[in-house]
Amino acid sequence: MTAEAARATDRPVILSLAGLSKKFGDTSAVKQVSIDIPEGEFLTIVGPSGSGKSTLVRLLAGLETPTSGTLKLRGKDITAVPANRRPTALVFQSLALFDHRTVGQNIEFAMKMKGVPADKRKARALELLALVRLSDSYYERPVTHCSGGERQRVALARAFASDPEILFFDEPLSAIDYRLRKTLEVELKELHQRTGRTFVYITHSLEEAMIMSDRIAILKDGDLIQIGTPAEIYRQPRDRFVASFMGEVNILGVEDGTFPDIGHPAPGDAAGAYAIVRPEDLLPGSRDVTAEYAVTQRLMLGSRTQLHLASPSGASFVSEIAGEAEAFEVGTSHAFGFDTDRIAWVDR
Amino acid sequence: MTRAGSPGPWFAAPVAIFMLLCFAGPILIVTWFSLMPGRTFELTTAFTLENYVAAISDGYARPMMWSLLGAAITTIVTALLAWPSAIILHRYAGRWASLVSALIALPIFISESVRLFGMSVFMMPRGGILAGSLNAAFGIEIGSILNTWNAALVGMIYIHLPFMLFPLLLGVSLIPADRIEAARDLGANRWQVMREVELPLAAPGLMIGALLTFVLCLGANAEAAILGGRAVTVITAAIEQRFNYAQDWPMGAALTVGVIAITAAIVLPVLSRLDLNRLTKR
Repeated sequence: MTAEAARATDRPVILSLAGLSKKFGDTSAVKQVSIDIPEGEFLTIVGPSGSGKSTLVRLLAGLETPTSGTLKLRGKDITAVPANRRPTALVFQSLALFDHRTVGQNIEFAMKMKGVPADKRKARALELLALVRLSDSYYERPVTHCSGGERQRVALARAFASDPEILFFDEPLSAIDYRLRKTLEVELKELHQRTGRTFVYITHSLEEAMIMSDRIAILKDGDLIQIGTPAEIYRQPRDRFVASFMGEVNILGVEDGTFPDIGHPAPGDAAGAYAIVRPEDLLPGSRDVTAEYAVTQRLMLGSRTQLHLASPSGASFVSEIAGEAEAFEVGTSHAFGFDTDRIAWVDR
Repeated sequence: MTRAGSPGPWFAAPVAIFMLLCFAGPILIVTWFSLMPGRTFELTTAFTLENYVAAISDGYARPMMWSLLGAAITTIVTALLAWPSAIILHRYAGRWASLVSALIALPIFISESVRLFGMSVFMMPRGGILAGSLNAAFGIEIGSILNTWNAALVGMIYIHLPFMLFPLLLGVSLIPADRIEAARDLGANRWQVMREVELPLAAPGLMIGALLTFVLCLGANAEAAILGGRAVTVITAAIEQRFNYAQDWPMGAALTVGVIAITAAIVLPVLSRLDLNRLTKR
């Protein structure tokens, strides 16, 4: 919260969402979302499918008009400004490349619409090709002759060509295979650092959000649940939804001062109804809160091993330890524990 | 299966025989007749080009011009009318789209002459449906365009609109919505979206519609006869007259070959650029 406020005051706010809502008939896709986005930030909006994140980015790009609320760009109300007159660009989930045109014509589209002369357009297009690491030879190529990763880069260059103040991304990497996605995630982050533009990125993968973002906003059923740096989201989730959205997590309910799942008294300073314990904090040996667990599954993750555990009362837990963990064979029981200062407390 | 045993040629045979008898055959005979001396009714080997020379010197260029002009105007006007209709039907009409399409398609099932006589009754001066109703209801007296070239054009546009609209509807449905949004997002106004994205993507449908309309209009005769009152002579009327009243088969044949050649010269280049795979979505 304090870090968040400090970041926000560092740089001027470029985009300000105030109570932005969108209803389709009777269903609310986006409910009263308010966020201030400082200039140059990489903000990722994360949510499961149906959380309204795509609708939110379409509102920001001007492809939908909000039912209520206002949107300000550098303090100027742009709520009613149509997409073609907003200084923003959206990279579509489908990429929406113009298949009837060449790579060069795709990239030059925004400049052509503004009436930039052909020679200047070409010079800029070649610059942009270099920016997205494509060689000049792509300029004349039809987009239909490009691979998935190349199309991704063309879409990026096309969005940059309009010289946008803010770039929006609507899950552009969701249809790409794992290895290429990892490469493009890093490239996108580098591109953000090199260009200094404001990026607003939509994804359903919190992992993707963690890698790239300065701040993460978590959306659920159209509500903004939490916004903060990746570390804040990871260490201080606001509720169980945010915690479990971040990957495998152990959630222990507190009843009458004990953790019934492991039959152990809860620490006296319990600050919430649920204790969130990350798998990497539930480790073998004796710690502040220790219990006996049976190993039900052992999964090798390369440098780490994930152990699925069952407490005596039958509740499931996950532990992640370094190395191969030969001693923890399925069926054996061991003492595992976590320290109380590693607990994140939530109320709901 | 061996190549010789392939059933393909057998399945193709009925259509192939039909095409030979009813398409290639008549064209051959007409071409042969066009090379015969004037007013002969026999096919001999006394070939001559005199009919073609006469066709140009006797002023048949004029009916040909009227036909080409009529076909061109009809194609352009139906395209202009059908474009917004297709966009509205595809994007906004929702569940009404099929009903509206059915209503537009319905007249095709009624004989063209019946519809044209209907138009004629509608356009008639004084007691005609339009002029009479306006006079009776509002006391407005109007003239009539019946028996003019304009009336023939109105008839051609009315008759051929569905032939433009339905291919165009197919073409418009090929435009993915996100491409339009992307163009808008990149700063294109409505006009630029249409020119840069919608028209190129709907082009296969537009071209098929234009070809159908143009070729049908080039061969149209009834509109000029029923509504136009033969105010102008179109080439099909001239051909009919050569074959019937004038009993000059070679001349009629030469004019026919001329129309086929001009049609082919216009249609084939367009057809060669048409990517049918895109229309059928591969």
